[in-house]
Amino acid sequence: MIVLVLGIFGAVAFVIPHPIVKSIDETMRNDVLRIITAFSLVLGVGSIIQHHLIKIRRKAEHWPFSYIALISLAVSAAIGLFGGIDPASPGILPTHIGGFSFHMQALYDNIMIPLASTMFALLAFFMASAAYRAFRARNLEATLLLIAAFILMLGAVPLGRMLIRPLPDFAEWILTVPNTAAKRGIMFGIGLGSIATSLKIILGIERGWLGGGG
Amino acid sequence: MGFWNKLLKIDRRWIYTIIWLVVMIPLLFPFKIKPMAMPPVTRLFNYIDTMPEDKALVISVDYTPDIQPELHPMCIALLHHAFATKRKVGLLTLQVMGLGLGEAAIRQVTEEFNAHATTHEDSIINGEDYVYWGWTTPIITILLGMGERITNVYPVDYYGHRTESLPIMKHLKNYDDIGIVVSIAGSSIPISWVNFANTQFGVPIGCGATAVSAADYYPYLNSGQFTGMMAGMKGAAEYEQLVADKFDELGIKWELRRKGTEAMSSQTAAHIAIMIFIIIGNIAYFVTRRRKK
Repeated sequence: MIVLVLGIFGAVAFVIPHPIVKSIDETMRNDVLRIITAFSLVLGVGSIIQHHLIKIRRKAEHWPFSYIALISLAVSAAIGLFGGIDPASPGILPTHIGGFSFHMQALYDNIMIPLASTMFALLAFFMASAAYRAFRARNLEATLLLIAAFILMLGAVPLGRMLIRPLPDFAEWILTVPNTAAKRGIMFGIGLGSIATSLKIILGIERGWLGGGG
Repeated sequence: MGFWNKLLKIDRRWIYTIIWLVVMIPLLFPFKIKPMAMPPVTRLFNYIDTMPEDKALVISVDYTPDIQPELHPMCIALLHHAFATKRKVGLLTLQVMGLGLGEAAIRQVTEEFNAHATTHEDSIINGEDYVYWGWTTPIITILLGMGERITNVYPVDYYGHRTESLPIMKHLKNYDDIGIVVSIAGSSIPISWVNFANTQFGVPIGCGATAVSAADYYPYLNSGQFTGMMAGMKGAAEYEQLVADKFDELGIKWELRRKGTEAMSSQTAAHIAIMIFIIIGNIAYFVTRRRKK
């Protein structure tokens, strides 16, 4: 019943500009939704702590890494909450020992960015290997895909224009016309599918999201 | 085993080594390439360049550290453009992981401008010339709430200042005071900006996307829901070139660090290497298949 009422109200509020409807809609969005989101944050942190504590207790595979996860969580939370952003905006917790700083931005610049960038950069190696081993012109469709990929790859670098002047424009045309035509069809399908699924949830036909069976 | 068979079964570590060299050598010894801006980038640049002076540029730093090499130069180039043309800037992020990137971008660009400033007017000052609202959640509350009153959505900025007390916020109340929002993301967040901010309030939206996700955004670009778009490292390099030309036009003498353009040599070499891999792989495949028959 709650889902039915709130689901219908959420949709209706977009098309009824009445002050009472707008006021309720604003309260729902600005207050109720934020409170629910705050609860989900607590739930998320609680869930990750519980998951790693269970791993440590059961000495599950790679359990020592759970200690690292929990310590990282506690340290970054403490620095984030009490250590300030950087030396220009200090917090109550001291975040430097001599010339060594470990404020939030220092942790972010020196740990988070290099780690995340490195992980993502590994994709270049896998892509190159996969392109060499698997990208074959086996049939007409694969050949068309290969030709389009070549045009777009050359069109995506300035050298493409130096080699064949109209190539970047042709690459742009592929993205603007055939790509858009296909994407629009897919998007209409996704849109209709989303509406159907949302209606099923609002009307209580689909209950899988509650955790039980469909 | 013949030559082509050996080539087909080559140890992947050779491929990894070649790719590493192909990426690293141009990074260390770049060759000079002047990017030519494509229409989506030019449209975004021209819109920001010619929008009314009292309207602010809002940059939504919706990317994460893993894709920052591709997208961070876009954010830097937008900030260079905005501050060079004396636009007010609002920064926010809808990705909690983007918080540090927004801070890094605004810190770098303000330091560059302030190092060359001689007067108070030339300086870029937090709370007067820009505001960094930081992160809050959920997305729908932010995107719809900013259309009503920004200070309700962000009562304090990233540094803990009350937004009501910031001078810039006197002229930046809601979407009516925003010229354009540029969402830089590797996810579908720019579409959320279109769905809520553009459709409901009519605020123009620009987009900065990774090269792989750019194809998803062309329908929005064609329909005019995106004013313009920077796609991948090439898009960043093109915008950097337009900003560099603008600096020349304004008589700003100091050199800009252009990371997108610097990485173009490396990307060009990597694309060519992958194309050569595909060609060799296909030749080897067809030769060995014919022999088997």
